[in-house]
Amino acid sequence: MTPIISARGLTKRYGRTTAVDHIDLEIPPGKIVGLIGPNGAGKTSALKAILGLATFEGDLSVLGKNPSRDRASLMEDVCFIADVAVLPRWARVWQLIDVTEKLHSGFSRETCMEYLSQTKITQDHKVKQLSKGMVAQLHLALVMAIDAKLLVLDEPTLGLDILYRKQFYSSLLNDYFDEERTILITTHQVEEVEHILTDLVFIQDGKIALESSMEEVERRYLELMVRPEQAERARSLNPLYERELFGRHIFLYDSVDREQLSGLGEIHTPSVADLFVATMKGGQS
Amino acid sequence: MNRLIALVRREFWENKGALRTTPLVIGGIYIAFLLMGLFTTAHFDNEMYTFREAIRLLASQPEELRAAHGYEVLLGSSLLFTVVLAFVVFFYLLGALYDDRKDRSILFWKSLPASDTLTIASKLITAMVLAPLIFWAVFILTQILMAIIASLMVLSVGENPWTLFLSVVNPFKAWAMVLASYLAASIWFLPLHGWLLLVSAFAPRIPLLFAVLPPVIFAILQIWITFLKTFTLNTSLFGLIGDWIANSPAILFVDMHDGQGGLSLGISLTGDFDHAVTLTNMLDRLFSVQMLSGLVVAAVFLAGALWLRHRATES
Repeated sequence: MTPIISARGLTKRYGRTTAVDHIDLEIPPGKIVGLIGPNGAGKTSALKAILGLATFEGDLSVLGKNPSRDRASLMEDVCFIADVAVLPRWARVWQLIDVTEKLHSGFSRETCMEYLSQTKITQDHKVKQLSKGMVAQLHLALVMAIDAKLLVLDEPTLGLDILYRKQFYSSLLNDYFDEERTILITTHQVEEVEHILTDLVFIQDGKIALESSMEEVERRYLELMVRPEQAERARSLNPLYERELFGRHIFLYDSVDREQLSGLGEIHTPSVADLFVATMKGGQS
Repeated sequence: MNRLIALVRREFWENKGALRTTPLVIGGIYIAFLLMGLFTTAHFDNEMYTFREAIRLLASQPEELRAAHGYEVLLGSSLLFTVVLAFVVFFYLLGALYDDRKDRSILFWKSLPASDTLTIASKLITAMVLAPLIFWAVFILTQILMAIIASLMVLSVGENPWTLFLSVVNPFKAWAMVLASYLAASIWFLPLHGWLLLVSAFAPRIPLLFAVLPPVIFAILQIWITFLKTFTLNTSLFGLIGDWIANSPAILFVDMHDGQGGLSLGISLTGDFDHAVTLTNMLDRLFSVQMLSGLVVAAVFLAGALWLRHRATES
């Protein structure tokens, strides 16, 4: 299968700082990929390169096109929500629907109206009259009505309350996603997306720290919770990361024999957030 | 083509106030002044004696004279529309590539499949064609309303507006001339449009400052250096811009042509062009060496604006 995104040696420099440092990345169709990293790790820079919003060095092909050169034609098949607040404030809802319909051959007015009918947004509303959450709903309705191959979401729920966030991801998963489409999400709120992701990419200091499918994560990583008296033995088995919680020691292991650990304490699959912390801390030491 | 139309419509929606409300207000001002004038006359002279005498005097003039005067009045009443149109286009272009960078909605526009070239083309078309067309349409509407009011007044003092001016003055020629001059001036001022779009794409804030300060500083340095060198105050950028406005194919001024006073294209400061309001004189300007050099300058500015627009989302 031809990959949706294929990057080789993708690099982005701003003057002397290197935001993205020789990244190799391949994303096949039908995936929901979480691009996760601390602030300033290069997530947004990488996304901008993918969306044709910034120049870059190295090879990058999105749906077989060079994003920097062919942004306009690439946008026929790619949608993105860069930030909740970017819809033009002067525009009325019907105007945004109209201009999107005229510019996007894959836009379905009916689908968009269907999504909007589930909200309090009317066609005559101006964007500046809408609350932040409603703007996000409107943007999502516009984007989900486009028959795109790749949807990119950069911190899509920033500043929204928990109700909107839950609803946002559930419509995304239930109404939009299918095996033809690919979704790429960056977010700080790892807990919210971890159940919908199929693949994980951790990025740190412009480099990829971890690239794995969720199944592989479940196979490879184990979390072990032990009493203090067992801590020394657990530590000797080469954990990636150790932390303490309510007097218990929690260790995170990569590719370790389950049998070896079972006698020491409780075994869990780590959450993405814990894995993230472990990977980031591990990478620094 | 459909995409271009969609983008031009978006420009209209965003700038409804400047593009639609402004000319309507000017039309309203013309009508209001006409009505105020009539009420003032009626207030001091309730028999309408002077008005009646004035109409009689006018009616006794030869038809050709009435036709010529009427034509000049029609052309002349475009002046306020023209000057305000220039301001509207100036500020529209200054904001055209700046406003969406400022409020970050550029990220939404760039998520739609419209190229930067098409986007800039839509802004130029809005400034050069749509804005003049709307102003022109409202100008015609205003004149029709004024003609109706004037006819009623003439009827009320027992004269016939049809033989007095309605059948005598040819409004279509005046309207066509105003439209032609608007479109010709749109092309003539392409270097300025290009400069404004370039500044609009570049300015990190306050585009007006970036549009005005560099040319002013440049011109002052130029004047100063020439003064030091030759001890004269010769040509500078100010002079160039002044000449450009003076030579423009816009109906701007009253002047003498063939021994008769009348409206003129631009202002006759230089002997480069004939300033009578004719299509030939407009075309003369569009096919001149000045225009050619202006187009080259405009192309450089527009290419710069396009380059900057492509990189507007870099950081």
